[in-house]
Amino acid sequence: MLKLSSRSLFKLCFVMASSRKPNRRIASEATFKKARTMTTDSSSSPNPNPMAAAFSQYADYLNQFNDKRERVVKASRDITINSKKVIFQVHRISKHNKEEVLEKANKDLAAVKDQYISRLVKELKGTDFWKLRRAYSPGIQEYVEAATLCNFCRTGSLLSLDEMNAELSPLSDPSVEPLKVNVLDYLLGLADLTGELMRLAIGRVSDGELEFAEKICRFVQDIYRQMTLLAPIMDDNTDMKMKMDTMLQSVMKIENACYSVHVRGSEYIPLLGNNDPSCPLMLPDLEQ
Amino acid sequence: MKSAFRTASPATLSHYLSHTRCSSFLNPNPLLNPTSSLIYTTIHHHIPSLNVVVSKPSWCHSLSAAEPHAPPCTAIMDKEFETFRQHLDESGSLRDRIKGVASEMESTNRVIHSLLLLVHQSRPVTEVVEKVQAQIDVLKGLFSQLGEIVREFPGQYYRYHGDWKSETQAAVSLLAFMHWFETGTLLGHAEAEKKLGLDKSEFRIDVEDYLVGICFMSNELPRYVVNRVTAGDYDCPRKVMKFLTDLHAAFRMLNLRNDFLRKKFDGMKYDLRKVEEVYYDVKIRGLAVNGDATAEGIEGQQ
Repeated sequence: MLKLSSRSLFKLCFVMASSRKPNRRIASEATFKKARTMTTDSSSSPNPNPMAAAFSQYADYLNQFNDKRERVVKASRDITINSKKVIFQVHRISKHNKEEVLEKANKDLAAVKDQYISRLVKELKGTDFWKLRRAYSPGIQEYVEAATLCNFCRTGSLLSLDEMNAELSPLSDPSVEPLKVNVLDYLLGLADLTGELMRLAIGRVSDGELEFAEKICRFVQDIYRQMTLLAPIMDDNTDMKMKMDTMLQSVMKIENACYSVHVRGSEYIPLLGNNDPSCPLMLPDLEQ
Repeated sequence: MKSAFRTASPATLSHYLSHTRCSSFLNPNPLLNPTSSLIYTTIHHHIPSLNVVVSKPSWCHSLSAAEPHAPPCTAIMDKEFETFRQHLDESGSLRDRIKGVASEMESTNRVIHSLLLLVHQSRPVTEVVEKVQAQIDVLKGLFSQLGEIVREFPGQYYRYHGDWKSETQAAVSLLAFMHWFETGTLLGHAEAEKKLGLDKSEFRIDVEDYLVGICFMSNELPRYVVNRVTAGDYDCPRKVMKFLTDLHAAFRMLNLRNDFLRKKFDGMKYDLRKVEEVYYDVKIRGLAVNGDATAEGIEGQQ
């Protein structure tokens, strides 16, 4: 009610400001009303707005495009949510359930691809990959993160961009240009991957899987080293600069965790067999 | 327990503490229960223990065995990232070329703008338009150059769009301003492309850029009206007001998002109001000629 009254007050002010010429204002309203129907008959109206025909074209274009953008944003959000679930699934890994956890993660990942990425592909219809990049980039980055994380846990190596795109290409209709993850989104996704790998490494350390943790450590060091060359030359690198800082933090956390077990290992190892839940494993505290 | 540790950590010791902290998780020695006094003692106890570990590598041979092997994936990764680097380098140099053209566009725009400003000083439109025409040809050349560059990378127009966006908007506003002088009508999107020699090219002007340009043009009109009236052209406000009213009404047909264009359009009503005020001032003093008698265009300007 309050909002309404203040609005009408504003309107009143505006009318008052221009009320020196009230009839002109009314005339303009009339022109506007006419303008809406203009597209069907422009010649018959006595005083048509000469710009209306062109502007109704622009309006159609903008409406269509904004609708498309909204749909792409929604698709991207779904990809994000479900890719996150895959990542959480991977984090449920432990020494004894590796196979089944990764199998489920892989299945979920395939579902993300088949259900949600395919929807994004359908919405984009092979066009506007760059124009709408900002609308779908977050989802794609998250997918890159999930896919590379799964792949690393299974094979211990980096899922390359070409391999990933090869997996995505069947989703696109052969008649249109296929959706490809671009280099920028791939690299941004990799930057996020290091954060997840840090969590994974800390978890592995506290689970006693030191070799796995060391492997993660080397892998993340490699990624960080490679990224230092690429981050400054990326298209819009403000995002990336921030991620580089976070990445360094993650790398150092893993390194410190590995260092700790390395140094204290002599005291630690004998206790490994002891699955006593009463001794709290508080290593994840390192994440902060 | 966590917070007890944290509050107990003096900043200078935080490094040691963080290791103490994790060691205590790995080695839940009952003696290490966290009271602050104990933490200090742990640090001192643990530092010598470093030496013990180094001299007693029996437990870490499994780790050190893993260390020297050169991970084969590094080489693959090197190759992969090398291609990324090439791609990004190429993209960067393309961007530099685009920026070069865009900065030339900007300076041409500035020249055109300064020439068009002569209309505020009651210089004949034909003279002004003639001067501007040569510069528009320059602009045309620059746009075709830009089109050439972008064509080398098909489908990536919008990847680099930000680099020529504002220049395009300014160019459209200048062209539309001039077009209005010549004809008294609004320059359409297709006409603007034609004027820049883009009608047959793949390189097109983004509709939103065009619309922003039109908003810029409307900003110039109140000043023009004021100066025309001062110079004694009392019919000008009526014509400009008609034009702006139509334009504003046309813009209201668009469903805009909360973006730059929306902001510019919101500013347009102030232009309209200013022109209405001038019209009112002229009319109330009986200065306005009977508008219907004169023709629509502005060519009548001496």
